[in-house]
Amino acid sequence: MSLIDDLDELEARARGMIEGADGTDALERARVALLGRKGEITSVMHMMGKVAPEERPVLGKRANELRRLAESMIERRGKDLRREALSSLMATEAVDVTLPGARPKLGHQHLISQIIEEIEDVFCGIGYTVESGPQVETSWCNFTALNAPMDHPSRSARDSFYIVDNAPGSVDHPEEHAHGESDVLLRTQTSGVQVRTMLANKPPIYMIAPGTVYRPDTADACHLPQFNQVEGLVVDRGITFGDLKGTLDYFVKCMFGEERKTRYRPHFFPFTEPSCEVDVSCGVCHGEGCAFCKHSGWIEILGCGMVDPNVLVNCGIDPDEYSGFAFGAGVERIAALRYDLPDLRSLMTGDMRFLEQF
Amino acid sequence: MRVPYSWLQEMVEVPSDPAELVAEFIRTGTEVESVDTVGESFDHVVTAQVVSKEPHPDSDHMWVTKVDVGGFNVGEDGEPEPLQIVCGAQNFNEGDHIVTAMIGAELPGGVKIKKSKLRGVVSCGMNCSARELGLGGDHSGIMILPPDAPVGVPFAQYQGTSETVLDCEITPNRPDCLSMVGMAREVGAIYDRDYHVDYPAIASETGRPTADELSVVIDGEGLCSRYVARIVRNVKVGPSPDWMVRRLTALGIRPHNNIVDITNYVMMLTGQPLHAFDLSTFAERDGHRSVVVRAAREGERFQTLDGVERTLAEGMGLITDGERPVALAGVMGGMDSEIEDDTVDVMVESACFDAGRTSHTSRDLSLISDASIRFERQVDETGCVDVANITCALIEQLAGGEVAPGYVDVYPAPAHIEAIALRMGRVHDICGAPIDEGFVERALTRLGCTVERGAEEGVLLVTPPSFRPDLPREIDLIEEVLRLWGMGRVEATIPAARNHIGGLTRDQRATREIGRIMRACGLNETTTYSFAAPGDLERVGMSTEGRGVPVVLMNPLVAEQTEMRRSLLPGLLQSVAYNEAHGTANVQLYEIGTLFHGRENASAPKERESLAGVLSGAMGDITWIQKYRPLRFFDGKGVVEELLSQLRVEKVRFRPAEGEGYAFLQPGRGAEVLSGGTVLGWVGEIHPDTREAFDIDLPVVAFELNLEALLRAARPHGAYRDFSSFPPVEHDMAIVVDESVTCEDLERRIRSAGGKLLAGVRLFDVYRDEERVGAGKKSMAFALTYRAADHTLTSEEVEKAHSRLVAKVCKATGGEIRS
Repeated sequence: MSLIDDLDELEARARGMIEGADGTDALERARVALLGRKGEITSVMHMMGKVAPEERPVLGKRANELRRLAESMIERRGKDLRREALSSLMATEAVDVTLPGARPKLGHQHLISQIIEEIEDVFCGIGYTVESGPQVETSWCNFTALNAPMDHPSRSARDSFYIVDNAPGSVDHPEEHAHGESDVLLRTQTSGVQVRTMLANKPPIYMIAPGTVYRPDTADACHLPQFNQVEGLVVDRGITFGDLKGTLDYFVKCMFGEERKTRYRPHFFPFTEPSCEVDVSCGVCHGEGCAFCKHSGWIEILGCGMVDPNVLVNCGIDPDEYSGFAFGAGVERIAALRYDLPDLRSLMTGDMRFLEQF
Repeated sequence: MRVPYSWLQEMVEVPSDPAELVAEFIRTGTEVESVDTVGESFDHVVTAQVVSKEPHPDSDHMWVTKVDVGGFNVGEDGEPEPLQIVCGAQNFNEGDHIVTAMIGAELPGGVKIKKSKLRGVVSCGMNCSARELGLGGDHSGIMILPPDAPVGVPFAQYQGTSETVLDCEITPNRPDCLSMVGMAREVGAIYDRDYHVDYPAIASETGRPTADELSVVIDGEGLCSRYVARIVRNVKVGPSPDWMVRRLTALGIRPHNNIVDITNYVMMLTGQPLHAFDLSTFAERDGHRSVVVRAAREGERFQTLDGVERTLAEGMGLITDGERPVALAGVMGGMDSEIEDDTVDVMVESACFDAGRTSHTSRDLSLISDASIRFERQVDETGCVDVANITCALIEQLAGGEVAPGYVDVYPAPAHIEAIALRMGRVHDICGAPIDEGFVERALTRLGCTVERGAEEGVLLVTPPSFRPDLPREIDLIEEVLRLWGMGRVEATIPAARNHIGGLTRDQRATREIGRIMRACGLNETTTYSFAAPGDLERVGMSTEGRGVPVVLMNPLVAEQTEMRRSLLPGLLQSVAYNEAHGTANVQLYEIGTLFHGRENASAPKERESLAGVLSGAMGDITWIQKYRPLRFFDGKGVVEELLSQLRVEKVRFRPAEGEGYAFLQPGRGAEVLSGGTVLGWVGEIHPDTREAFDIDLPVVAFELNLEALLRAARPHGAYRDFSSFPPVEHDMAIVVDESVTCEDLERRIRSAGGKLLAGVRLFDVYRDEERVGAGKKSMAFALTYRAADHTLTSEEVEKAHSRLVAKVCKATGGEIRS
C-alpha cells in the first residue's frame, strides 16, 4: 500500500472523527489526535523528511491539503457544535414571560407635594419666583397688613390658633388683642408671605408661595386643622384685572385641562378689591350639572382679586404707581377634586396603601 | 338672606323664571345657595277646564270627563291633549274651571294619584274637592274656580300657597343686602331699572309725647352711635295677619305675636334691627322712665329672652332701664321686658350699636341673632328715625296701637359722608376694560350713590349712600362698577413682566432633588401633623437639649396637639405604628417638614426644615424571584450615604451616636452623620423601649437630617475627572484586627498606604470565628484595585505596592493578614 493510499485512508478517518464528534470535548480530542503535537496528520508532516525526494512534492502537497482540510472541518464543526450548544442552552433558558419581573422599588411622592410642584412649574414657566415665610406668623402680617379689621371674626381664637407669646410686645408690630389672642399665631393663610415679599423686594414682583396653614377645624372627612395653600402675588406697573384673568385662565387650563372653562364671580376679601372667586367648569359633566358639582356645572377653586391699595401702602408700595393682583388656592381641595378623595385625613396618616397609589 | 320672590316682585321687576335672576346674582357677586319652595307645593295639581262630560257606560252616578290641563298633558304630536278622568261629582258642567290632580300627585291627606280603571274605564287623574286639597270647607262636589281662572297652571301658583325663596349668601361687606329693600335696589342696579317700596305712615299721634315719658342716655364711648325710641300705647297683642305670617315663614322667621312679628318684618324689610319692649317693665320714677345704654361689668348676669342666664364680660353693651338690664345691646332682648299677651304699652327701639362690640359680644357668648348679624356688619344710622316710624305705623295698623307724639333721638355725632373723586382713567387701569363713563354713572346711581361730574375731565364726584359703609374709597367704587359691568366681559391678558426673572432657587431645586433621591431609594413621601403632644419627645426618649422650648398653642383643639413639633421622628413613628396596626409590615417613609424651636425671650420660634425617614420590615414581600432582607441599620445608613454622595457632600463621616442625646437609639446601632466638623443629623435603629412606647413590633431604622445644613454641605458638580485606560489588577486582602478597629479607620489607613496606584477599596466580607479568627477579633476582607493612569502595571510593581500596603496597614492597626 502506498503512502498516498495511507493519506486517503487518514482523510477518511479524520472526516469520521470530526463529523462524529458529538461535543466540543470530542472535537478537541479529535483535533489533538489529528493535529496535536503527536497527531496523525502532524506525524505525516514530520515523516516528509524520510520520504523519497521524487515523491516529496506530491506527498507534501497531499499532506498539506489534508491538514488544511482537517483544520477547516474542525472549525466548521466547532461552530456548528457551539451553535447547537447555544440553541439547547437557550431552549432550557426559555421562560414564561408572563411571570412578574424583578421590579426595583421606587418611592412615591405625596400627592400634595406633587400638586405643589406642578403649580410651581406652571408659574416658574411664566417667570414667577417661589417664596416662603414662617408658619408661626405675627398677627400683623397675617391680618393687619392684609387689611383685616381689628374685630374681624377670622382673628378670633375660634378661627385661628394663637401661640403663647414668650416675649409679649417684642414683635415688629405689636397689637391690642382680645382674650385668647396674641401677637403670634399659626398662619391661617399663606398671604403673610405676600406682605413679607413686598416688604423685602421692590416691584416688579411675580411670585407664588405654597405652604402649610392652620385653622382650628376638627379633623374630619372634609376638614384638616393643617392644610396647604398656594398664594400668588403680582405687583408691577399697569397690572389690570384682565391680567389676573389671563394668568388664572392659563393656570386653570394647565392644572385641569385645556377644555375647561373659568368663571369669575365677584366676592369679598379684605385684602383685595375688586375681589372674586374663580370657578372651573365641572370635569365630570362638562358644565351640564351633576352630583359632583352639585348641579351647578361649576366647581369653585380659588379666590383672587386686585391687591387692595391699603395692603400696598402697608407694605411700602405706592398704589398710584403700582397695581397688582393676588390669588390663593387650597391644595387639598385641588387634590380632592382631582382624585375624588373621600376622606382628607388619609393625607396625614402615612398609610402606605394610600401613598403608593399616587 | 332669604328672599321671597313674590315680595321682591312687588318692589322691582324681576324675570318670571327665578333661575334667570339667580344667574345675574351670581354674575354680580350675590351667591345663591339654593332656590327653595316653601308652603304647600301641590305637585302635579293644576288648574283645568272640563271639555266634555259623558255618562259612565257602566255606572249611574259617575261621569267620564275630558279635562283640558293645558301643556301639562301632550299627545304624540306634541300638542296639548285633554286628560280622560272618571269623576263621581255632580256639581259641575262642561266649561267649568276646576282643579285636577294628575298622575303622580300626592294630596295633603296622603292620597296618591295613579292611573286606574273605574268600572272598566281608564281614569288618568282626579278632579279635586276643596277638602281633598286640604283647604277645608265644602265637600259636596269638586272645587269650581271662577270662569276667569287660568287653565293649565300649577294650582299652588294659582292659589298663592307656595312661595319661591332665594337663599342668598351675603358677603360681610354688604350689610345693605340683609334687607328686602337692599335686595330690590341690587336687582334694580343689575337690570338698570327702578325699584319702589310703599312704607306705611303713622295715621295719628295721641297721648303723652314720647319725650315726656322717656329719656335716653348713652353712657360711654363706642357703644351706640344713635338711639331712637318711640312709644306706642294700648296695643292689642295677638296673632299677625296671614300675609305677614306667610312672609316671615318664607324668611325663615318663626312668628310670635303681632308686635314681635312687626319688628322682625320691618327689620327684614329695611335691614334695621328693632326691639319692642314692654314699657311697663321699665322702672318708673315720678311718671318717668329712662333708657341707659352702658357697658356691662365683668361677671354681671342677665337672662336673655331665649331663657338662658348669661354671665357677661366687661365691655359688652347693655340696655338698662336705669336700674336693671333689659337687653343685650344689638344681640338679644331680655326675658323680663319681653312682649307678652297682656302687654299694653310698647317702646320701640331703633338704634345703631357698635359693630365691633356687637361682634365680640355675640362671639364671646356664642349667641348669634338676626340683629347681631346686621349690627356687626354696620347698620345705617341715618335711617333709625324713619324705621322707628314705619314700625310704629304698622303697630298702629295691625295691633291697634296709639302712637305717642314724637320720639327720643340721641345722636351725638351725625354721620357725614365725603364725596369721592372717581377717575375714569383709574377705572380703566384697574379693570383693563373699556367701561364708559355713562355706565359708571348709571350703575353707581342705581346703587344709591349721588354722582356729579367733577371739574376735571374724566373725574366723577361720587357720594356713596349712608347704607354702604363698604364704599369709602375710589377702589371700592371701581369694584362696584366692575362687578355690575361684568368680570366675565374683561379681556384676558398676560402681564408683560419687564425686568423680572423667575424660577426656582438653587436650594429649592436641591430640596426637590433630595426628594427624588429619597424616592429612588424606595422611600415614600408622607406628611404628618406639625402639632405635637407635650410628652412626645419624652415618649421617644429624645432629649430636649438643643431643641428650644416648646411652642405652645393657646387654644389647642385636642390634647395630642397642644404644641408644635421639635422633631419629625414622633410623627413618623406613629405612621409606622399605624401601618403595622393596619397590616402593612413593610414601611419606607420620608418627610421634609418644619420643626419649631421656641425661644425663651422671643415671640417667634426658630423654624427649621428637617428631613427624616423611617424603614421597617423589608423593601417588599418575597416574590418568586426576589427576596428582601429585613431592613436594619445598614439599610438606613445606605440611604443616607447615597443621599450624601448624590449631593456631593464632602468629608462624610459616621460617628457612634452615644450618650443621653441618643437614648432613643439602640446602643451600638446609631451614628451621627457628619460632614467635616458639622453634624448633619443621625441615623440608627430605634431603641426597643421606644418602639414599645409606640406599639411597634418590628425593628425600625430611622434618620433625621437638618435640611439647611445638608443644603449648605451639598456641593456643585466638580470638573470632569479622566479615568485610566490601562488595565486594573485586582488583589484581595483579608486582615484580622481587633474588634475595636473600625472599618472607617482601616479603610482610611489602606487608602493612605496604597499611594497613587491604589484605585479602589471595597470591603466584601466581615468574618468572626473564635477558633479560626480569634476571640475579640474580626477578619475584614477587602478587594483592592491597582491601576496606573499612564501605563500597564507590571506584576512586580503591583507586588511591591501591595506588600508595602499590607505591611503599613498591619503595623498601624495591629492586624495580621489571614491566609
